[in-house]
Amino acid sequence: MKKQTHFSKMKILLLLIFAPAMLLAQETITGKVLVEETGAGAPFVNIIENGTDNGTASDIDGNFSITVGQLPVRLKVFALGFGTKFVDVETAGNITVQISESSEALEEVVVTGLATSVKRSNAANAVASISSEDLAGLTPPQTLDGALAGKFAGALITKSSGAPGGGISVKLRGVTSVNGNSQPLYIVDGVYVNNNSISAAGLNSVSGAATGGNASNQDNPSNRIADINPDDIESVEVLKGASAAAIYGARAAAGVIIITTKRGKKGETKVSFSQDVGFNTIINFRGQRNYTEQKVFDFFFSPNPSDPVAEQQSRDAANAQVAAFASARDSGSLVDYEEEIFGEEGFISNTSVNISGGSDNTQYYAAFSNNEEDGIVKNTGYDRKSIRLNINHSFLDDKAKLSLSSNYIDSKSDRGFFNNDNTGTTIGVALTSTLPWADLAANELGVYPDNPFGASNPLQTRDLVTNREDVNRFIVGGTLDVQLYENEKSNLKLVLGGGVDYYELITTAIFPKILQFQKPSNGGLNGVAAIGTTENKDANYSAFLVHNYTNSNDLNFRTQAGLTKQTFSRNTIGNIASDLIAFETNLDQGANVSVSQFRLEQEDFGFFVQEELNFQDKVIGTLGLRGDKSSNNGDANEIFYYPKASAAVNLHQFDFWKVPVLNQFKVRAAYGEAGNFAPGGALFTTYTSSLIDGIAGIVVPVFPLALGNPDISPEKQKELEVGFDASFLDSRINLEFSYYNKNVDDLILQANVEPSTGFTTEFSNAGDLQNRGIEIGVNASVFENDNFNWSTGVLFFTNTSEVTRLDVDPFNLGGFGTGLGTFRIEEGKSVTQIVGNDINGNLVVLGNAEPDFQMTFTNSIRYKDFDLSFLWHWKQGGDNVNLTNLLTDFGGTSADYDEISEDPAGVTPNGPFRVGAFFGGNATPFVEDASYLRLREVGLYYTLPTKFLDQVFKGNVSNFKVGFSGNNLINIFDYNSYDPEVSNFGGNGLSTGVEVTPFPSAKRYLFHVAVDF
Amino acid sequence: MTMLSSVLVLSCDIEDGRDLNGPSTVSISSDLSRGELQEAVGGILADMRGRLGTQVDGQSIAGREYWRFQSSDPRWTADLLTGTLDDNAFYTTAPYASRYATIKDINLVLEGLTNSTEDFSDEEKAGIRGFVNTIKAHELLMVLNQQFQNGIRVDVADKDNLGPFLSYDDSLTAIFDLLTDAVTDLGNGGDDFAFRLPSGFSGIEGASGIADDPENDEVSPADFATFNNALTARVEVYRGNLASAETLLDNSFMDLAGDLNTGVYMTFSLNGADIANPLFFAKNSTGGNARIAHPSFLTDAEANDTRLSKIVFREAPNSSDVVVPNPLTQSNLTGTHDVFVYTSNTAPVGVIRNEELILLYAEANHISDPVAAVAAIDIIRTAAGLPAYATLGLGTTPAELVTEILKQRRYSLYAEGGHRWIDLRRFNRLSDLEPLDRDGDGTFEQFPTPANENRQ
Repeated sequence: MKKQTHFSKMKILLLLIFAPAMLLAQETITGKVLVEETGAGAPFVNIIENGTDNGTASDIDGNFSITVGQLPVRLKVFALGFGTKFVDVETAGNITVQISESSEALEEVVVTGLATSVKRSNAANAVASISSEDLAGLTPPQTLDGALAGKFAGALITKSSGAPGGGISVKLRGVTSVNGNSQPLYIVDGVYVNNNSISAAGLNSVSGAATGGNASNQDNPSNRIADINPDDIESVEVLKGASAAAIYGARAAAGVIIITTKRGKKGETKVSFSQDVGFNTIINFRGQRNYTEQKVFDFFFSPNPSDPVAEQQSRDAANAQVAAFASARDSGSLVDYEEEIFGEEGFISNTSVNISGGSDNTQYYAAFSNNEEDGIVKNTGYDRKSIRLNINHSFLDDKAKLSLSSNYIDSKSDRGFFNNDNTGTTIGVALTSTLPWADLAANELGVYPDNPFGASNPLQTRDLVTNREDVNRFIVGGTLDVQLYENEKSNLKLVLGGGVDYYELITTAIFPKILQFQKPSNGGLNGVAAIGTTENKDANYSAFLVHNYTNSNDLNFRTQAGLTKQTFSRNTIGNIASDLIAFETNLDQGANVSVSQFRLEQEDFGFFVQEELNFQDKVIGTLGLRGDKSSNNGDANEIFYYPKASAAVNLHQFDFWKVPVLNQFKVRAAYGEAGNFAPGGALFTTYTSSLIDGIAGIVVPVFPLALGNPDISPEKQKELEVGFDASFLDSRINLEFSYYNKNVDDLILQANVEPSTGFTTEFSNAGDLQNRGIEIGVNASVFENDNFNWSTGVLFFTNTSEVTRLDVDPFNLGGFGTGLGTFRIEEGKSVTQIVGNDINGNLVVLGNAEPDFQMTFTNSIRYKDFDLSFLWHWKQGGDNVNLTNLLTDFGGTSADYDEISEDPAGVTPNGPFRVGAFFGGNATPFVEDASYLRLREVGLYYTLPTKFLDQVFKGNVSNFKVGFSGNNLINIFDYNSYDPEVSNFGGNGLSTGVEVTPFPSAKRYLFHVAVDF
Repeated sequence: MTMLSSVLVLSCDIEDGRDLNGPSTVSISSDLSRGELQEAVGGILADMRGRLGTQVDGQSIAGREYWRFQSSDPRWTADLLTGTLDDNAFYTTAPYASRYATIKDINLVLEGLTNSTEDFSDEEKAGIRGFVNTIKAHELLMVLNQQFQNGIRVDVADKDNLGPFLSYDDSLTAIFDLLTDAVTDLGNGGDDFAFRLPSGFSGIEGASGIADDPENDEVSPADFATFNNALTARVEVYRGNLASAETLLDNSFMDLAGDLNTGVYMTFSLNGADIANPLFFAKNSTGGNARIAHPSFLTDAEANDTRLSKIVFREAPNSSDVVVPNPLTQSNLTGTHDVFVYTSNTAPVGVIRNEELILLYAEANHISDPVAAVAAIDIIRTAAGLPAYATLGLGTTPAELVTEILKQRRYSLYAEGGHRWIDLRRFNRLSDLEPLDRDGDGTFEQFPTPANENRQ
C-alpha cells in the first residue's frame, strides 16, 4: 500500500515532464510478470493492449516488452490457469505485474470433442463450469452431487434422504426418461464413473415395502458418485443435454458431468492442510401434537351404539389410555420421540492434506482426505477416506504428455432404517403411531419394552439395527497425448485414453432377534442377517487423432476422429439368513438362508468424427457424428448414429462492431442427438426362480419385472439450444441466455399391459417427450478495489415438459395410486404431472413435480482479509406427495392434527380431515407445494496477513485461513414436513418428491482452518 | 477418417447380450425338456401362492369374516368395508395379475409340450396336460370368484390376441369343461406323472383306490383325478348342478368318515426362494399388521363350537405385569380377537379339503335327499362339538338347510379363502352381513375389472 502511494505521487510528476512526448511517440513498456503465489516468473503470459490486437507474450522467465501507440494505456494480462488482470500504465519503462493462479480461469475452455476443448468464448453451448472454489469454497460439501445444487442453471437436484453419504438425484433440463436412466453420466479425468444405487440385501425382507401398493423397494441406498471427494476436484463441467453431449453418444441423453481433478504445477512443492470441525442438526421438526385428556379419549374411543358391550370395552380402553397419558404428563415423563430420534447433533470432521509440485516435465498432486460425519440419528453416519495421486509427465521434448490419475476410496455409510414399509418396522413408520406416554427406553438390563402403539420400538430399532454400505473403490485412468507431426500451419496429435472404475460394495443389514418385530411371538423371523456383495467393474478405452490446419486467411480447421470402447460388468450377490442362532450374525448361523444374484455385462463400441472450423475467432462452426453399438441393443451390431452441429458467432470480433459498452456479444446455436439405453433386462422375458417344498421352479416375472421386448431401441434425444452471451463494461457484467428444446423420441416405457396376459407391464418404445426451457445467468463484479470486492450472480431457469406422443394407454407410476396421488404418463400432459382423485372421485391433475422456476443468488464479498460468500436457492413451485402426514394422522400424532386449515369448509380439524379424505378416496390433501427458499451455503473466512505470517512462522507458512461456514442454515418453506427436498423412491425416474417417513435432512455448521506451507 | 473409423467399428463385432439372471420364457415354450418340466411344474405350484394373502384378505373382509388392519395401508379398512372399490388398487390388481401369471406359466408349458422334442410318452403327455389344466381351472375359478358378473377371459394363451370376456355363467362352464377335459387326460395318464409333486398333495395319495403299478407313495394321475373331481364338484355346486356335483364328490377324495383336514395344500417355508405363509400373523399383533376377527364370528356362534379356537382372545401383560385384555382399534373398529387359523408362518393353506367336500355333499343333497344332507351336516357339527342338527328343532326344507349349510360353511371354512362372501352371494344373501360396522360401510358383489384390462 505504501508503494502505491509512492507511485501516485510520482505519476503526477512524470505526467508533467513527459506529457508532450507521450502524445507523439510510440512507447515501450517492459517488465516482468510474476506469479503472485510463488513470486516466480510467469512464462508465456499474454500481454495485450486492451481493445486492440496489439500484444505480446512473456518469455520463459516472465519478461516481456510491448510497444504501444500512446500512453496512458490499459494492458490486459492473461493466461490459461491464471486470473485476467488489467493494468493501467501511464509511463513507459519497467513494470511488474503480479498474476494469480485462478481456478476460475479453467472456465476459459470447455469440452467440445472427446479429445479437444474450445475456448469458452468460442463455445456454441451454454456449458456450465463449476470451479473448485464454487464447489467447495463456501462450505465443505458432503458429496459432489449435493454440492452442485444451486451452482448452475438447468438442474433439479434432490437429496432423497437426510442420511449422510448421498442418495441424490440430479436431473438436467427436466426428466429425460421415464423408465430408463435419467441420471447424468459422470466422467472423472476421462474415466466413466459408475453412479449406481444398489439396495442392501435383506431390508425388504423386513420392511416388506415392495409388497404393497408400489413394487419399488424404497430402500434408499446411496448413489456411488458420493465416493468422489469434492476436495480433489479442480473443476466440473456440465453438458446439460444432447446438443452439447452428442459426442458421448448412446449414454449421454441425461447429460454428462465432466470432472477434472486437481493436478500439480511446476515449481516449489506446496503442502496444504485443512481441518473442518462442526456438527449437523435437523432442519425442521414436524413437531408434537398438543394432547389433552379429551383428545386422547376421542382418538381411542369408537362409539358403537349397536353393540353396547363393544362400546364399553372401547370406552374402557380409551380411559386407560387417558389415565396413562395423564399420569405421564403429571410426572413429566411424556417423551418427544421425534426429538429423541432426530435430535442428535452429528459430529463432523474433515481432514485433508495435499502435496503438489513438480519439475519441468513431471508434476504430481497427492492428496489424502478423511471425512467423517455422524447423522442426526444415533448409529448413522458417513465415513470416507480418499487417497489420490495424479501425475503429469511430458517427454520427447514436450511432444508427448502423459497424465495419470488414481484414486482409492474407502467409504462407509450407516443409513438407519427409514422410509415406507408394510410391516411397521422402519423407524419412520414406527414414530407415526408412537404416543408420547409410551415407555420405550431400555431398562438397566438393556431390555427394551415392546411398543404398545406399533409393531416396532423405534429406540430399539435405532440402537440395534445395522444398515451399512461399505465401499472399496479404485478409479484409475490415464491419457497419453502425442504430437505426431507439426509444422507452421498444421499439426497432428494422437490421444490415447483409458480407465477403470472398480469397486466392491458390501451391504450389511442385521436385525437381531431381540427386536420387537423379530420375536417369533410377534410373528418375527427370529433375527435376520443379510450381506450383499457387489463387484462392479466399468472400463473405457479410446483412441483419437486430432489434426489442426490453419490456412493463410486464419481459417482454422480442426479434425478429429477416433474410437471408443466401454465395458460394464456388475455382479451382485445377496444372502439373507433368518432364524439366527444365539446372537450370531454370520450367514451360516441361521436356520434359513436365501441367496439371490444379479449380473449385468455390457459392451459398447463407438466411433466419433468431428470437424471444427474457426475463422479468426469470429465464426466457429462444428459438425460431428457419433456412432454407437452395444450388446444392450436387440441387435448388438446395429449402429445408432448421433449427429451434432453447432455455430457460434462472436459479433464483437467483427470490425463493424462499435458498441463500446458491450465488449463481447456472441450468438450461438447448437443441435445434437444422444441416446439412452433400455434398462438392463428390458430385452428379455426372464423367468424368476421359485421354490416350494424343496422343489425349485421357474415362474413368469410379475411386477416390477416385465415382459421384455427384443426389438427395443435406445431412446433418442434431439436437442436444439440457442442463446447469446454478452459482456458489458469490460466484462464487469456478463449475461448468458439460453433457450432449449429437446425431444426424446422412442421413449422407453414400461407400460401396463392387460394383466390377463400373465404380465403386468411390457417394455416398448411407445412415446415421445419434449422438454423446453430457458436459462439466464447474470454475474457482475459490482465493486472492485484493493480493499473491497463484491461480486454477485443470479441464475434463473425453468423447464416445462410435455408427452407429445403416447402409443399406449395413459398409465400411473411412481406413487401409491390415485387415492394418494401418483404420477401419470398421458399424451399432451406434463410428464411430471401428479394426478389423483378429487373429492368427487374424479381423476384430476393435483400438481406437478416440476418447479415453476428456480433462482439462485450468489454473493461474494471481500473486505481486506475477510471473505464472505453465500448462496441462496429459491425453488418456486413443484409439488410433492406427502404421505407422512397421513400416517401420523392415523397414529394420532400429527402436530397439526387439531388445527383447522385443510378443510375448505373450515370445520374439520386437519387430522380427521385428511383421514376422511383418504377414506373418501380423495388425494387432494396429500399433494403439497414443495417450494423453498434456502440459504444453501454460507462461508466467512479470514486470511491472516502475510506480514503476520512471516513474523510468526518465519516464512514457513504461505497462507493461513480460518473461517465459519454452514449448509442450509436458513430454510423457508410452507411444506408440512421436515423438508420439501425428499424422495421415498430414491433418485431415478419420476418418483422424486414422494415422502413417506424419511430420514430428515440436516443443516451443518462448520469451523475451518486451512494452512498452506 | 470417417470411413476408417466406421470400418473399424463395423469390423469389431459385439456379441448379442443375453439375460444373465434367468432362463428366457422362450426356452420353455419352444421346446420343453424333461428337466425343464419339473422346474416349470414347481414354478406353477409355487406361483399359485402369489399374493394369496391379498386375495384371501380381500374376500374375507368382504364377507365380514375378519378385519385387516395395516397402519401403513389403511385402504383395508376403507375401500373394502365401504364397498367403494378402486379398479387400480392392489387389492383388485394384485390377485388378478398373480392368478393370470400362474395361468401364463401353465400356457407356456402347454405350448412347450406341443413343441417338445423330448421323448415324452403319450401317457406322460396326457398326465402333464391333465395336471396343468386342473391347476389352470383352479386359478381361473379364483379369478372368477372375485370378478363374478364381470366375467373373465379364459383364453389367454396368446398375449397379442386375448380371448373375449365370458359372462359369469359361461366362464363357469368353460372352467367346468377344462376340468372335464383334464380328468379325461388324467385317465390316460398312466401310473405316474413325469414329474414330482410337493408334499402338499400327499394327502390324496391313494385316494383313487387304484393301486399304483409298481406301488409307491407318489400321487398318481388317478389320485390326482380325485382332486380334479373335488374342484369340479365345487364348480357344479356353484352352478347349481347338484346331481352332477354328487357324482363328482363320489369320485373325489371325499371321505365322510375321514379326517376333515385331508386334502390338497399349498405349503410354505422360509428357505431360499420359498415364501412364508402370508396369512399368518402372530397373536396380539399390533396395528402395523393384524387380522382381527369380526365380532359377529363370536356372537353368532353356537355355544361350545370348538371352531371358535380359530380366533384367539387378545390379552397382554400391562405395565404391572397383570394380564389384561388387549383389544385393537383402528379406523373406528375395535376387535378383541385375533384370527389364528394358521398358527405359524410355515403352516400350509388348503386348496380344497374334506371338510368342504362334506359340506358340498350336504348342499348337493339338500333338495333331493335332505336326510343325507343332514347326515353330512351332522358329521361337521359333531366334529365341532355341537349336538346333532335335529336337536335344534329346525326343519329340513331346502331354505332351512341352506341356512344351516351356510352357517357350517362359515365356521368350517373360516378365513380360508373368503368362502362366506362367495356363499352369501350365491344365495343372494349378502344382506345377511348387516348391520354393518360403521355408517357409510357397504357390501359389494364383486371386485372391479382391473383398470388395465381393455374390455372392448
